[in-house]
Amino acid sequence: MLEYIQFVLAPQVVTGLALGVAVILVALGLTIIFGLLDVINMSHGEFYAVGAFIALALGQLGLPFWVLLIGVPLLMLPIGYIVERGLIQRVFHTPDRHVTTLLLTFGFGLVLEDGLRLAFGPNPHKPETPIPGAIEVLGTFLPLYRLFMVGFGGAVIIATALIVYRTRLGAMVRAAAFDRNMAASLGVPVEHVYAGAFAFGVALAGLAGVLLAPIYSVFPTMGRDFILLAFTVIIVGGMGSIGGAAIAGLLLTQVQAISSLYISPVWADPIVFGIMVLMLVARPKGLRGRLGHA
Amino acid sequence: MRDALSYQARTNHWLTGALVLACVIVAGVGFAIGDTFYLRLATEALIFGGLALAVDILLGYTGLLSLGQALYFGLGAYVSAVTLIAYPSFWGAMGAALATGLIGGLAGGLIANRVRGVYFALITFGMAQVMAKAIYNTRSLGASDGLIGVPVIDINLGLLSVSTASPAGFFLFVLGMITALYLVCAYLMDTPFGRLLIAMRTNEARVPFLGYRTSTLRLGSFMLASVVAALSGALYPMLRGFVSPELLFFATSGNAVITVILGGVGTLVGALYGSLIFTILKSVVGSWTEHHLIVIGILFMLVVIFLPKGMMGLLHALLRRASAGKRP
Amino acid sequence: MKPATRHLCGLMLAAAIATPAVAADPIKIGVVTPLSGTYAGIGQQVRWGLELATKEVNAAGGVLGRQIELLFEDEEANPSVAVQKAEKLFQVGKVDFLTGTVNSGSTLAVGQLAERSGRLIATTVSFADSITADKCSPNVFRVNARAGQQSAALAAWLAKEKPQAKVYYLGPDYEMGRSTVSAFKANVERVGGQSAGEVFAPLDSKDYTQYFGQLRAARPQILYTSVAGNDTVRLFTQLQEFGLLQNMTVLGASGTVTAQNIGAIGKAAEGFTTGVGYSAEAATPENKTFVAAFRAANKADPDLYGADSYGLIYAYKAAVEKANSTETDKLRGALRGLKWKTPQGEKTIRAGDHQAEQIMYVVRVKDGKFTVVSQVPGADAIGADTCTRF
Repeated sequence: MLEYIQFVLAPQVVTGLALGVAVILVALGLTIIFGLLDVINMSHGEFYAVGAFIALALGQLGLPFWVLLIGVPLLMLPIGYIVERGLIQRVFHTPDRHVTTLLLTFGFGLVLEDGLRLAFGPNPHKPETPIPGAIEVLGTFLPLYRLFMVGFGGAVIIATALIVYRTRLGAMVRAAAFDRNMAASLGVPVEHVYAGAFAFGVALAGLAGVLLAPIYSVFPTMGRDFILLAFTVIIVGGMGSIGGAAIAGLLLTQVQAISSLYISPVWADPIVFGIMVLMLVARPKGLRGRLGHA
Repeated sequence: MRDALSYQARTNHWLTGALVLACVIVAGVGFAIGDTFYLRLATEALIFGGLALAVDILLGYTGLLSLGQALYFGLGAYVSAVTLIAYPSFWGAMGAALATGLIGGLAGGLIANRVRGVYFALITFGMAQVMAKAIYNTRSLGASDGLIGVPVIDINLGLLSVSTASPAGFFLFVLGMITALYLVCAYLMDTPFGRLLIAMRTNEARVPFLGYRTSTLRLGSFMLASVVAALSGALYPMLRGFVSPELLFFATSGNAVITVILGGVGTLVGALYGSLIFTILKSVVGSWTEHHLIVIGILFMLVVIFLPKGMMGLLHALLRRASAGKRP
Repeated sequence: MKPATRHLCGLMLAAAIATPAVAADPIKIGVVTPLSGTYAGIGQQVRWGLELATKEVNAAGGVLGRQIELLFEDEEANPSVAVQKAEKLFQVGKVDFLTGTVNSGSTLAVGQLAERSGRLIATTVSFADSITADKCSPNVFRVNARAGQQSAALAAWLAKEKPQAKVYYLGPDYEMGRSTVSAFKANVERVGGQSAGEVFAPLDSKDYTQYFGQLRAARPQILYTSVAGNDTVRLFTQLQEFGLLQNMTVLGASGTVTAQNIGAIGKAAEGFTTGVGYSAEAATPENKTFVAAFRAANKADPDLYGADSYGLIYAYKAAVEKANSTETDKLRGALRGLKWKTPQGEKTIRAGDHQAEQIMYVVRVKDGKFTVVSQVPGADAIGADTCTRF
C-alpha cells in the first residue's frame, strides 16, 4: 500500500499539480484580459507560442534561461501594448464588441501561427532543461524542474493576484473594469490601463511559454494544445476571476490525474468538459464572479 | 410588412437571383466543355455555403456566435453516409439528417442556450470538440480513417433523375437544395419570428415585455441553424463518396465563420457569396503559397475592421449609390 | 543547367531516339501531401525524396524519353481537402499518377476517388494495415512498409534479445495507434512475451505524465509506443524526467522517432528501438549514394518517408518502361509483381494486395543516431495477403 502511494499515487498527484500550475499560467492572462476588456483573446495560445519561440531564438544566441525568464515577458509587454492599441481598439467601440474582438483575435492567431511556421519551420524544438535531475522525497521520485515550475509559477500567480487586488495600480484596473466612464472622470487613464492590462496578459502568456518550453517543447501549433483546457478553467473558475481560475485549474487537473489512474485517459478530457457544461448550466457565472464585480 | 428590412431583404433576393443565374450559366459552360473539377469544387462551395448559412442565422439574426456549427454539419454527413451505405436512397438520407438536426439541435440548444455571448461561443466550440473526439474514437464509424464507400446514387425527382456522379447535374441539384434552404431561412427571417430574433439581438431584455418567451425563440433559431447545417452536411458524402472526422473539427467551423464575415453578416445570401469567394481564394492562394493561412488571416482581419457588413455591405452601398444617382 | 535548356536537351534526346513528338510531353505526377499544419515535417521529407529522384531520372533521360514533372498540392492532413486537391490534379492538372498522401484517411479517400476516375495512386507514408488489407483497392499501391511488417521485425528481435519480456503498450488514441498496438501485441504474444496492460492517450496530449500512473502500476520491462511527431518529443522527455527510462527499454513504431524529431528528443531517445523499412545507416552502396545526394540537396538526413518517396519514382519509371505505357490498366499490370531497386535494396510489389515486400530493419538509437541492429528478410515480415477485392 505504502509502495503504491510512493510509486504510483504520489507522482500522479504531483504531475497533476504541475500541469495545473501550467494551465493556470496560460489561463491567467486570458482571464485578466476578459475581466477588464471584455475581450476573448483567441490568439492567446499563439502569444504563448511566440514567447516560447523568442526564448528559443535568444537561447540559441547564448542567453541563459534565467535572463530569458525575466527578459521575454518584458519583450512581450510592448508587443501586447501595440496589438491592443493597433488592433483591439479599432473595433473596441462597435456594438458587438464580444464577437468582433473574438473574430479579430482569431484572425490574428492564424497569422501568428503561420508566421511562426514561416520563420522557424514546422518541426518541434526542445530547449535543454535548465535544472536537470530529480530528487527523492519520502520514496517518491520528483523531477527538479517540475518542482521549480510549481514553485515559481505559484509565486507568479500569487504576485499577479496581489498586484490586481492589493495595489493602487490594481485598484485603477479594477475601477476601469467596473465602470469605464466613472473611472475616466476620476482621472484614471482608461485607454492606457486597457492597453497596459492587455500587454500584461500577453506578457504572462510569454512567461508561460518560456517556463513550459523545456517540458512541452516548442512548435508553431503549440498554442492550440493548451487553449481549450485554459478556456475550461476560466469558465469553471468564473471569467475574469484570478482566484477562481487558480482553484478551477488545480481541481480540474487533479480530476484528470486521479481519474487517469483508473479509467482510460481518453475520457479525462470529456470528464473535464462535462464538469464545464454542468457548471454553465448550474451556475453560468462560474465559481467566482468577474474582476471588479466580485 | 414593408420596411427598411424588407427592402434590404429584397435587394438580397435580387443578389440571390443573380447568383443562381450565374451558377446555371457556369453549369452550362462546364457541361459544354466537359469540365469535372470546377463544377464539383463549386458544388462543394455551395454545400459549405449551407453551413455558413446556418452560422449566419445564429450570428446575423440572433447575435450568437457559434464556433462549433461543424458539429451539426458533420453529424448530418455521417448520418447520410451511414444511411446511403446501408440503403442507397437520397430521401432516406435527407430524412435521417433532418431528424438528426432536429434532435441534435434540441439537445445542443437546451445546453448552449443556458448562456449568452462569449460563453455561447465557447460552449458550442466545446460541444463540437467532444463529438468530434467521440467519432474519431468510434471504430464502427471508421474512427480516424473515416468512412469510405458511399455509393453513387440516382436521385429520383419524379419526372427526371439525377446521378450524384454527374458534375453538372449534381451541381444544379445542390444549387436547388441550397437555394431552397436559403429561401426557407429568408422567409422565416421575414416573419414575426425573424423580426423577434433581430429584436433580441438588439435588446434581449425588452423582448419579454412584448409578451414573447426569449428562451423558445432562441431554441427555435438554434434548431433551425442545426437543421440547415445537417441538411447541407448530408449532401457532402453524395459529392465526395466518403466522410471523415475532420468535417467536425474546429477548422471546418472556423472556415464557416470566416465565410460569413467575408460575405456579410446578417444577409444570408452573403454566406453563399462568401463561400464561393472563400473557395476561390483558398484555391488560388493555395496553389501560389503553402502559407495561405497568413493571407486568409490578414484578409479576414481587414474585413472585420473595415467592412463590418462584409462584401454584401459593400454591394448594398454601391447599389444604393447607383439608384440614388438615377434620381437626383 | 537552366530548366529551359534542360527541357531542350530532353527534346533533342527524344528526337534522337526517334520517338513520336507527343512523347516529348512531360509525364505529370501529382503530389498531394501536407505542406502546412502538424504533419508539415513529413510532407517536407516526401517532397525532398520525390524531387531528388525526379531530378536524377530526368537528368538520365527521363522515362521513355519523357521528362517527369511534379505538381504539388497541400493535403493539410485532412481527407476532405486531399480529395478536392486530388480531383484538381486528376481533372485539371491531367496527371498520369498521384502520390504523397500521409493521413491514412486521406489515402483511403483519394484511393476511392482514383478508382472512380480510373487512375492509379501510391502512398509512400500511410501505415494503416487496412489500406492493403480489408480496405484494399485495385487502384491503390503502397511502396512503404505497413504497421504489420514493422511489428513482425521488431517482435523477432525482441524474442531473441529479451525473451518472455513483460510489455506495456502506449498508443495514440486513433486508428493508427490502435492497429499498431494490436499488431505488435499479437506478435509479442506469438513469440512468448507477456502483455502487462495498455493505455491509449489522445492525440496531441500536452502531458503524458498522467498516463504514467497506470504504467507504473504495471511495472513492465518494455514499453511499446506508437505515438508520433511532436507527441513523441513530449512523451520521451517526460519519461526521462520521471526516471522511468532507467529500468525500461522503449520500443516503438517506425514513425515514432525519425530524423524530423530526434534532435528535439535529445538524450531521452537513447536506446529506443524500432522495426522500420528504412535506415539512413544501412550499409548498402545504393543507400550510401542516396544519403549523400539527399544531404547535398536538402542539408538534412533522409528518413523513411524521404527514402520511400524517392524509391517510388524509380518504381514508377520501371513499371512504365515495362508496360511501355502510362495507361492505367497496363501500368497496373506492370506494377503487380514489379521488382525494382531502392535505397533499401530490391523491393517487390505483391500482386495480391499491392503491398511492397521489402527487407525490414531493426534499428536502435545510439549516441543520437540510428544504428542497424538486425534485419528481417521481406518474406518473413510481410504477413498474409488478406485483400479479397481483386
